[in-house]
Amino acid sequence: MTSSSTPLVSVEQMSFHYPRAKITSGGSGWTLQDISLNIDLKATVGIVGESGSGKSTLIRVMCGLLHHQQGTVRFNGKDINEYQGDGANELRRQNQIVFQNPRRSLDPRMTIRRSLTEPIRALQDRTPDDQELVASIKRVGLGPEVLSRFPHQLSGGQLQRVGIARSLSVSPTVLYADEPVSALDVSVQAQVLNLLMDLRDQMGLTLVMVSHDLGVVSRMCEQIIVMRHGHIVEAGRTSDVLSKPSSDYTATLLKAARAASLERS
Amino acid sequence: MLHLRNLRVTIDDYEIINIDDLALQPGTRLGLVGESGSGKTMTAKAIAGLLPNEAKVSGDVNFDGRNLLELSDRELAKVRGKRIGFVFQDPARSLNPMMRIGKQVSEAIRIHTDLKGRAVTDKVIDLLRQVQLPEPETLLRRYPHQLSGGQQQRVMIAAAIAADPDLLIADEPTTALDVTVQEEILRLLISLSEQRKMSLLFVSHDLGVVRFVCNQVAVIYGGNIVEAGDIDSIINRPQHRYTAALLAANPGMPKDDNFSAFIGRRLQTITGSVPAVGRFPSGCRFRNRCQHASEKCVTTPPITSDSPNHRHLCWHPTQGGRS
Repeated sequence: MTSSSTPLVSVEQMSFHYPRAKITSGGSGWTLQDISLNIDLKATVGIVGESGSGKSTLIRVMCGLLHHQQGTVRFNGKDINEYQGDGANELRRQNQIVFQNPRRSLDPRMTIRRSLTEPIRALQDRTPDDQELVASIKRVGLGPEVLSRFPHQLSGGQLQRVGIARSLSVSPTVLYADEPVSALDVSVQAQVLNLLMDLRDQMGLTLVMVSHDLGVVSRMCEQIIVMRHGHIVEAGRTSDVLSKPSSDYTATLLKAARAASLERS
Repeated sequence: MLHLRNLRVTIDDYEIINIDDLALQPGTRLGLVGESGSGKTMTAKAIAGLLPNEAKVSGDVNFDGRNLLELSDRELAKVRGKRIGFVFQDPARSLNPMMRIGKQVSEAIRIHTDLKGRAVTDKVIDLLRQVQLPEPETLLRRYPHQLSGGQQQRVMIAAAIAADPDLLIADEPTTALDVTVQEEILRLLISLSEQRKMSLLFVSHDLGVVRFVCNQVAVIYGGNIVEAGDIDSIINRPQHRYTAALLAANPGMPKDDNFSAFIGRRLQTITGSVPAVGRFPSGCRFRNRCQHASEKCVTTPPITSDSPNHRHLCWHPTQGGRS
């Protein structure tokens, strides 16, 4: 994850705790501790680890939804705390996130048209025309008829496509995806994963994906970050890390994933 | 030991389940695999007599020679929990948060056995040990929130096996757990079923998990068992187009640790999504999503069996490979 040019996202000795967490001198209470990592432009990075390891918190800090207390997070070489006013909107526009459960992340009272319009209004201060919205919904494999529907009228897979269209509507540089398929049926997961791969290639996206599924990460992500208890245990090229794990934890994770998976040649 | 015949469940005239024939032999571990809305949990509930009041049930749920559907509530109560144990998906929701662990497990013992007093506590400690929980003497004084998800699920399993059931029904028992904890719980279920000669009906959406745990599998879609048989036969030579497509859409893990060949590999997809309950097409339930469907598929396919341990319900089966 290192390169000679400036990385797109650069995290240095960053620590984060949630409000009112009890911080002790021994270091407990922190959700993320001493995190350092770089993400290059157009990289695809998978973040894996057990629940409570800090995966979701980490991507929320990187895309500016949560504010870290120690260390620095840089986007395009500039400290994310220095993105203020219009700059803050620009930071948000370039860093978009897709959440796990699309039913919870779309407003049930808004039509899909309105849900797709909101981020463009908020972050780019303009109202998209119909042509743009139709293009946006077609890009994720849905028809224009979806625009006039409400979330309850769509299936989970369709809603997650809308969630992706919404994030992409402001032409982000980085797409963060937090377990984007774990709330979906098995027969629908593959469609959404393939869609993410296609959009990444077409739009030149940097993709950072949290997943509990090592099979998915080893298909989609060139790079992997293994987390545990708020620390990075191991990081590097996915094929290197998974074929020769240097930490016992990664090895355990891999063994468990292999036991409960189908083998593919 | 358990034999479902012509089991039909309807709610508001929607057919939720229609199972011609599904048998579970003593000592086997049968995986019931399906997606959301397929009827897998409803099938488990129908066996347990736990369906909602508005559900209409007919057919035969034969357990050791008796049709459970014809038993009175009192008779059923003697079977449920005693001869048939249950473990559900989310242990945090199944345990009473206000009650100590020891008391929750001892409830199951008091209801279903004649043990009293100190013998009950001894039995609780023994059960907690059997599910490999550390320091059972201390643990029984704890409350559920003081335990991890994996430990909570072990407690649920301890309560479920308290009365030495012949059959354990586990409905997505590891879906809420981390993958490493999942493996431990799955190994525990396998070893308990082997030691106690206890049959297992393992309900899951995940064929990888089912392959690990079970020796037999039944694939359910739209309330029909579309394919059933020995696990290896079905994983390696699926016949029904749905099973084949489901296997192909599973991300899996690379064979021989060949991770570098795996990168960028696209998944095979199944078009459309699982219909809402009651919206499945007639005939073959999968036909509106199937690439191989023809006009024949409007009628329900007959049960076809190429080998005694593998049968399917498909007009256009694969030729022994994945689709």
